[in-house]
Amino acid sequence: MRSNTAGRVVFEVVLVLIALLFLYPLFLAVFNSFKSFQEVMTDVIALPKHWTFDNYSYVWKYINYPRLFLNNVVITVIGLFGIILVSSIAAYKLSRTKSRFSAVIYFICIMPMLIPFQSIMLTVLKTAGFLHLSNSTWGLGLLYWGFGAPLAVFIYHGFVKGIPKELDESAKIDGASPFRLFFSVIFPLLKSVTTTIIIIDVMWIWNDFLLPLLMVNGSPTTKTLTLAAYTFVGQYTSDWQYAMTAMVMAVLPSIIVFIFLQKYIVKGVVAGAVKG
Amino acid sequence: MNKLGRRWTDKAEFGIFTIPVLICVAIAFYIPFVLTIKYSLLKWNGISKHGTFIGLDNFRQIFTGDTEFIDSVWFTAKFAVLYIIVINVLAILLAIVLDSKLKSKTFLRAAFFIPYILSLVVVGFIWKFIFMQGFESLGGSTGWSIFGWSWLGEEKLAFLSVLLVSIWQSIGFYLVIYIAGLQSVPEDLKEAALMDGAGPMRRFFSVTLPLLAPSVTIAVFMALTNSIKVFDVILSLTGGGPGSSTNSVAYNIYRDTFQNNLYGYGTAKALILFVGVLIITILQLTIFKRREVEG
Repeated sequence: MRSNTAGRVVFEVVLVLIALLFLYPLFLAVFNSFKSFQEVMTDVIALPKHWTFDNYSYVWKYINYPRLFLNNVVITVIGLFGIILVSSIAAYKLSRTKSRFSAVIYFICIMPMLIPFQSIMLTVLKTAGFLHLSNSTWGLGLLYWGFGAPLAVFIYHGFVKGIPKELDESAKIDGASPFRLFFSVIFPLLKSVTTTIIIIDVMWIWNDFLLPLLMVNGSPTTKTLTLAAYTFVGQYTSDWQYAMTAMVMAVLPSIIVFIFLQKYIVKGVVAGAVKG
Repeated sequence: MNKLGRRWTDKAEFGIFTIPVLICVAIAFYIPFVLTIKYSLLKWNGISKHGTFIGLDNFRQIFTGDTEFIDSVWFTAKFAVLYIIVINVLAILLAIVLDSKLKSKTFLRAAFFIPYILSLVVVGFIWKFIFMQGFESLGGSTGWSIFGWSWLGEEKLAFLSVLLVSIWQSIGFYLVIYIAGLQSVPEDLKEAALMDGAGPMRRFFSVTLPLLAPSVTIAVFMALTNSIKVFDVILSLTGGGPGSSTNSVAYNIYRDTFQNNLYGYGTAKALILFVGVLIITILQLTIFKRREVEG
């Protein structure tokens, strides 16, 4: 029995070591962001001899970090708000209306899930330009409404089916308007799927690369964090200490949020995959 | 009269609730899609205001003379097959290990999941740094020759690097799907198999794996959808090189459209990608549907 427990402990220690090894590339990125250029060049795997924040203050100013962070927040919040609003009301109505017409509209809403973004990237750009949505953070945020809608409609549609129709009827008898009925009776009941959609979409929009590259990469005032990191590496090809600092600064917000909301994020990602 | 009025308000309500979403998907998908079909029939360098209509010439040229595109299709197919197999096998094994009673369970799951929350482009750059600078130091201190290999400079190794980094970034996602699947396997079933004297291998293949089938379906579907669109990692890690050995279909389209300014030609390829994805998805859905009915 005792040897069994000892074996367990060894097994567990080995697993932890494997996990740390798995994350080693991230540790290396962090360590090297605190080194000087010479130190990076002489030894990458050693810990920094003199921890320095110089790289951080340089990159912070150079890419105007607060501005980029704000851009990311604006794009994500606008995108999320619209996806949830527009998709939930449509999915509710489509799920409640039983007719061939309603089924066709539902199909039109979810069918785009089959279209790979690279198939339409040039023409999305043209369409956005025509509608004056290009080169602005809110324009990009608005564009996400359409890109996020198919999956959101799909998930909401399935969930609304499980909400009894009697609730609608009784609210109607009480004289509630259709909007009142939706926002004060139905929407609160959708909370669990709304959380799932928020988690999947925040992870997607916050980290998205290609659409922002085409839409808002023109000016340093509209860039996102990932775009800035990308441009930065292009300009400083051999200055790895700056590059790694930019990488760490780009991903740090995600990691901090993950540490606090880990349980919800994992749950949301699983729920989204299972429903999608 | 009243009934008629009721019908109209119902219709108006239906319109008000669904028109916003229809406008949004039209802007994001349907209008661009129609334009894609139109552009694919044009010869257009992107500088002049409009292209000239050339019918199906772009497609003819792609299928007869574009070896780079054909190569990128092969690369993507090879990548997709290996990615799907390796990531699912690894994730199932890891899930079984992490599903057992461990004190550090939460930490371990979080550790494997973290890369998945990071932007793929950033992940690509971090690994480029590891391959180019980190391996040199690691080679120096361990003396192992694998660190001396040219991981991004040699064709076969560059392919492996792209595969490795893609798997490293996303294995956490498949891991949590399988862990969720394992947790829905009833405990008494596992115990019953244990009582029957089934060995660990027997238990895995005749109890655990069949019950994991729904998770496998989801995971394979996601792995396929993601791998045929592989783009971000290639852009930041190898830039399609060396030569064009890690040039995926998506990356090839991106380069033709935005770097070579071949608006019509690139869009024709984009349309081919769409048709390919459509066919694969429909095939996959029918296969899985049939399996579910049988099972």
